[in-house]
Amino acid sequence: MRTRIFSVLCENVAGVMMRVSRCFTRRQINMDSITVGIEPSGLARIIILFQADDKMTAFMRKILLRLEPILEVQVLEPENSIAREICLFKTRKLEEEEMSETIRLVQSAGGKVLEIREGSLIGEIGGNHEEVERLLSSLGQGMLKEVARSGQVYLSRNNRGSS
Amino acid sequence: MKEITGAAALVSALKSEGVRHIFGIPGGAIIPVYDVLYEEPSVRHILVRHEQAAAHAADGYARALGKPGVCMATSGPGACNLVTGILNAYMDSSPVVAITGQVPTSFLGTDAFQEADLLSLMLPITKHNFLVKSVQELVEAVRKAFQIAMAGRPGPVHIDLPRDVQTSKAEVKIPAEVLRRRKERYEPDPHRVEEAVKLIEEAERPVLFAGGGVIWSGASPELVELAELLGAPVVTSLMGKGSIPEDHPLSLGMLGMHGRRAANLAVTECDLLIGVGVRFSDRSTGDARHFAPKAKIIHIDVDSVEIGKLVRADVPIVGDAKRTLREILKALRARAKRGVRSEWRERILQMRREFAPKMDYDDVPLKPQRVIKEIMEVLDEDSVVVTEVGQCQMWAAHYYTVRGPRKFISSGGLGTMGFGFPASLGAKVALPHTKVVDVAGDGSFLMNSQELATAVENEINVVCCIFDNSYLGMVKQWQDLFYGGRRSQTYLGKSPDFVKLAEAYGAWGDRVTRPGEMAPKLREALKCGKPAVLDVVIDPEEHVLPMVPAGGKLDQMIVGD
Ligand SMILES: Cc1ncc(C[n+]2csc(CCOP(=O)(O)OP(=O)(O)O)c2C)c(N)n1
Ligand SMILES: [Mg+2]
Repeated sequence: MRTRIFSVLCENVAGVMMRVSRCFTRRQINMDSITVGIEPSGLARIIILFQADDKMTAFMRKILLRLEPILEVQVLEPENSIAREICLFKTRKLEEEEMSETIRLVQSAGGKVLEIREGSLIGEIGGNHEEVERLLSSLGQGMLKEVARSGQVYLSRNNRGSS
Repeated sequence: MKEITGAAALVSALKSEGVRHIFGIPGGAIIPVYDVLYEEPSVRHILVRHEQAAAHAADGYARALGKPGVCMATSGPGACNLVTGILNAYMDSSPVVAITGQVPTSFLGTDAFQEADLLSLMLPITKHNFLVKSVQELVEAVRKAFQIAMAGRPGPVHIDLPRDVQTSKAEVKIPAEVLRRRKERYEPDPHRVEEAVKLIEEAERPVLFAGGGVIWSGASPELVELAELLGAPVVTSLMGKGSIPEDHPLSLGMLGMHGRRAANLAVTECDLLIGVGVRFSDRSTGDARHFAPKAKIIHIDVDSVEIGKLVRADVPIVGDAKRTLREILKALRARAKRGVRSEWRERILQMRREFAPKMDYDDVPLKPQRVIKEIMEVLDEDSVVVTEVGQCQMWAAHYYTVRGPRKFISSGGLGTMGFGFPASLGAKVALPHTKVVDVAGDGSFLMNSQELATAVENEINVVCCIFDNSYLGMVKQWQDLFYGGRRSQTYLGKSPDFVKLAEAYGAWGDRVTRPGEMAPKLREALKCGKPAVLDVVIDPEEHVLPMVPAGGKLDQMIVGD
């Protein structure tokens, strides 16, 4: 069992996310993340992260390919693809000193301060999963009031993903 | 171009798909479509008495004819009543197109009167489903639905049709061709074919295991040819029954839990198993880890999902059964001929003789084997046997000799009691000049016996032979074998009187109790010019044997006398 990444190209029709996600639910697989975006062609690309062994991964790929709106399922390997995620966060009300320390932490991690309002900071960090995790854990649970994460999106480095 | 309503567009789209029969029941949310059907002479609507029967009838129609069957219902309760039948068609890969009315689009999601979330309900039990929002979408959905239902591995498709789409007017063009981006793979990979041929050449004791896919792809001639070329026996799944004429010397009949002993033993002894259009269900294989323990396995299926799912495949081939078998035959013929494995062939013929099922009982109460024997005396090779579910079904599957594809129709994957009688009506509508007999159980028949009214009113003259044991027999059998004979809630008693029930509906009814009565009464029933019910009183103590207990090994059967 390890993390698997599917990049699923499909027609952008109503219910397609439900069609895809129930295939996983029915086989007792919990998705770590699922994101969707529309490509210039008008087709949708869904990126799914989940835990499975080789056999289940191959099976799930065929299961998805059997769905009518699905055109292609690439299995991405982390080493052959680029991953990014974006995270927005809001801190609790900060004292002045804490605030300047927080701003420093955010900026040195490559994040951005988007807004400061009534002593609370809204910031952004984008990058790979580890970079996002690192900043969030250095800020610490006590500091963060709200976090919104995009989930990870992946792009294959090859012209054709391994499939 | 002229503007037409969605309802009219639907009906002309159905006509352009060649639809001539629809099974259904109207209701508020689909009256506009029925209003168009009112003056449409080329589409015959058969009014059933419960929507479940509409779905099963469409399914039986599809299986008998090899073309999609169509059922129709209103929103909410009507559509929900289709659900069991649609899932049944899905499990057995039968091309059913279901069309249901839906509340107007502006009411969707408001718990409007008779609203049900059919997009969600039908989604997991269809190959694909549509909720159409405009007349143009509707005609495209119809075209796609019929394509999808038949493409590759067949299966049901559902179209949900809001009432306002039925009544709104638009200029539409019935598309000659619609873009389906997804494409099935029919042609086998030549490298895989090569690997398969190599294994076949090396094999001493090959067995062919045929499923419903052989029937749907029309591959029976190729299957028989390959069997004869190799001297290899053919065993089948329940869905594959009839893929080879079962009176062929190389046919060993059905495999599995209630399969023939010779079939189960051949699979256990073989050194190569060629699965064609079959999904290796647990009812066929028993314990999958000990299935065909000495054999290499070649698995041919048009649905790649099935390959390697339950049983390992040494050579997986994704492809249409007919095309793949043709390629294999071509390659085999081009090579140095190994030809018939005479020793194996002899062993098969000997097993076939040794384990020929015994049917000539003279007992009273009647033995079901004897009843099937007499049914076989009356029916010809063209006749269609449909079954209910339970012991009656397994007796038919085990003992009845089917002589061609599409002549044996049964609910396999779902095992739906109540399937047989409405499915037999569908088969009879599809093949009006063919004898159609439902081998029923008393419990199953009562689940859709209201369809006697449909049969009588529409003059659909099938004969329903109820194997009346006053029990939910198959469950009772499990209780007898595995629960110390504690027959909890399986005794049905003596009600109803099936002969009177038939007569109350205006059908023909008669009772069979003694050996020698079945054949003449069945002949009479087939000729009586009405739908008929034969209440065949059988021995309630009889079990379906041999039996491989669930999860057991195929060569370890519980055997009878
Ligand atoms: C709709 C449905 N409910 C319950 C079952 C479970 N079940 C399987 S066989 C059987 C008994 C069938 O009885 P009957 O039709 O009389 O046939 P018999 O086994 O007696 O020949 C039952 C209850 C089922 N398969 N389908
Ligand atoms: Mg019974």
